[in-house]
Amino acid sequence: MLRSRGVLVGVTIIGFWIVCALAGNAFVPYDPYADDLLATLQPPSAEHWFGTDQLGRDIFSRVIVGARDILTLAPVATLLGTLCGTTLGLVTGYFRGVVDDVLSRVIDAVLALPLVIIALLALVALGPSNLTIIVVIGFAFTPIVARTVRAAVLNEAQLDYVAAARLRDETAVHIMVVEILPNVISPVLVESTVRLGYAIFAVATLSFIGFGIQPPSADWGLGISENYGLITGGFWWTVLFDALAIVSLVVGVNLLADGVRETLEA
Amino acid sequence: MSKDRKRLDAVRRDVGVLENDLFDELLSGCIGRRDFMRHGSVLGLSLPLLGGIAGAVFGPTLSPRRAMAAGTPGATIRIGIGQPAGAIDPVTIADNGGLVLLEPTGEFLCRTGPDLVLQPQLAESWRPNTDGSVWTFKLRQDVTFQNGRKMTADDVIASIDRMADPKNSANALSAFKGILQKGNSRKIDDHTVEFHLDAPNGNFPYVLSTDNYNLVILPADYAGDYEKTFIGTGPFKLEKFTPKVGASFVRNPNYWGKPALPERLEYSFFGDQQSQVLALQGGDVDVLQQVAFKGAQALFNDPNIDVMSIKSVSHQQVHMRTDMAPFQDKRVRRALALTLDRKKLVAGLFNGRASIGNDTPFAALFPSSDPTVPQREQNLAEAKQLLEAAGVGKGFDVKLTTERYMEIPDYAVLLQNFAKAVGINIALNVEDQNAYYGKAVFGQSDWLDSVLGITDYGHRGVPNVFLSAPLTSDGTWNSAHFKNPTYDKLVAQYIASPDLGGQRAIAGQIQRLLLDETPLIVGYFFDELVPMRKGLAGIPPIANRLFMEGAHFT
Repeated sequence: MLRSRGVLVGVTIIGFWIVCALAGNAFVPYDPYADDLLATLQPPSAEHWFGTDQLGRDIFSRVIVGARDILTLAPVATLLGTLCGTTLGLVTGYFRGVVDDVLSRVIDAVLALPLVIIALLALVALGPSNLTIIVVIGFAFTPIVARTVRAAVLNEAQLDYVAAARLRDETAVHIMVVEILPNVISPVLVESTVRLGYAIFAVATLSFIGFGIQPPSADWGLGISENYGLITGGFWWTVLFDALAIVSLVVGVNLLADGVRETLEA
Repeated sequence: MSKDRKRLDAVRRDVGVLENDLFDELLSGCIGRRDFMRHGSVLGLSLPLLGGIAGAVFGPTLSPRRAMAAGTPGATIRIGIGQPAGAIDPVTIADNGGLVLLEPTGEFLCRTGPDLVLQPQLAESWRPNTDGSVWTFKLRQDVTFQNGRKMTADDVIASIDRMADPKNSANALSAFKGILQKGNSRKIDDHTVEFHLDAPNGNFPYVLSTDNYNLVILPADYAGDYEKTFIGTGPFKLEKFTPKVGASFVRNPNYWGKPALPERLEYSFFGDQQSQVLALQGGDVDVLQQVAFKGAQALFNDPNIDVMSIKSVSHQQVHMRTDMAPFQDKRVRRALALTLDRKKLVAGLFNGRASIGNDTPFAALFPSSDPTVPQREQNLAEAKQLLEAAGVGKGFDVKLTTERYMEIPDYAVLLQNFAKAVGINIALNVEDQNAYYGKAVFGQSDWLDSVLGITDYGHRGVPNVFLSAPLTSDGTWNSAHFKNPTYDKLVAQYIASPDLGGQRAIAGQIQRLLLDETPLIVGYFFDELVPMRKGLAGIPPIANRLFMEGAHFT
């Protein structure tokens, strides 16, 4: 898979941001959280490569360490959505009948809800926190993963090895987890890597509209939210570098996802 | 001067004790022109009389009214405001976008002018009894509503009772609590009303002024259908109101006062400040209601735009729960307050467009504030000593809960950084405003229940609301849970005090008490910013208000 140039670029980008998230504090030129009220909104210069924000904080330092929250929340949310979606897909695809009809209609209903609406409902129920972000994204991804897995399970459930397992009086759980799941793992992996890209975007969106991640975090979405009102004042640097960081990470994950899909389909 | 003195003596013979006390303070140099004008207006002395006396003592000046009078009539002025949060009803509306829509067609008994001077509007004059417990308001006799009906004392009493009635969930209800009950406004004749207060109150006219944002005078038979008519007595009348979009008003040809200069006002609603700023820059509107400094920087450098910067007493209060760890010890509260570098706050958050606060609601702008009270400065060594003495020398962790509004999240980050210097680790929880205020009652509101929080307080002409609701033992907004009988007594005395000298003496005691106890941190009072297209003039510089009747293009 690593022989693909796209995958190599994707892995490099993701690797770079992971290193920044883990050890960024060690090589940033300034404390990313320290304000300097006498040097606010300075444009990019040799002293501050990406300029300073409205509190005089060094934007380069904040962009470097800003990967931390997004690289924690997005994978965990994706994992949650994948686990729940796979479970739901296995159940609906295996049992079919009334169980499939009822659960599939519920899945359809959830799919019709925009992420922001789900997020608002979750905010009322759970309050704003990182956990809320994980639950919202996980919940939103569950039906999408479930549909993919269900389609794969419907094919698998017709095959002889499943019939043989039934004849052996294996339990339904055993058949789903031990017999079917290993054979549908490829679409699950492809779906989850694609979802990871969306999750990164979703975390940034939810941070932007004020969920979960709290100041003074250097999170990119939060940074854009805090500073977008400054663009009209000509302070473009307060937003641009956070936005580029999100774009680069999403592109990196999508390149990796393409590689995973091509490899598994080959 | 001797001729002026003779005239003043003649005036003094015709007025009461409170007015004479005020003249004594002026002549002895205890108060200046601004304070004299402002407090004289509270006592019901007419502005021409006050201006004449002040002119005799200090020399003549141009009155704001005369400054507004010139200008070319007939313009259409386009105004950008925030999207009103709900139905426009003077009784219940609470947000700035909704409140500003009451101004074209609605009027108050009196209104706060520049420099906090009260100006008569629907009331011609007002006078207190000797202890300030009964105030008599004389109404204008020539006022009609836009439907042609005459305004009388019945309309005024009905309007005030409507707001003071707990059944109506009026936004102004808290302003009347402990001051004036429903049923205590009495009609003397068709144009005279007597207000019998719960307790003496030296600044009562402010309660009936534009300071009490909702209190426009409505017809006695008002049925709650305001959006259909925008009924009132004001210089404009409704042309069209489209919910979520905008409203337009045209000049009221039957207005009792001087006709408004603009022919038409067009209000457009915007979801956020960013879009308002862009609309002004793009020429889609001529003036904005009021903008926060953050996000409005572009306007200061735009050659086509002027920004009117109005000194105000609007501020953000940092409350500390005095009944809970770690702030139940006043030394800990003082320590946190001592970490703030207020000059840097004003420079960094507002680029200097704010005044430094001294941890009390007494802004320097209030004439009753005691300027001899020492200013609290940043002192980290003393803060550390106080923490040591309180047994938390190694610092502590605490959560600060606040609202996502104006510069407050940035202020919270700065407070966090300041506190870090003495080992206080503050975790931030910045919430949507609805979540922060919750149901606005104790036990169901992060605002009132949080151990440490920051809350916005809008401009007022007198500090009475700031002193009562957030700080008295039974205060409905007492998020610090501050209970201090001495303070309660002082505030009651301050509110009752009818003369400025007495108010200032008590204010000094309150300021010193609050500095010692520090239930609140007030780091700054910020200027209110009204951006407008170059060439637009005639909008009076009144904080939190946008009166358009004198607006014109030069």
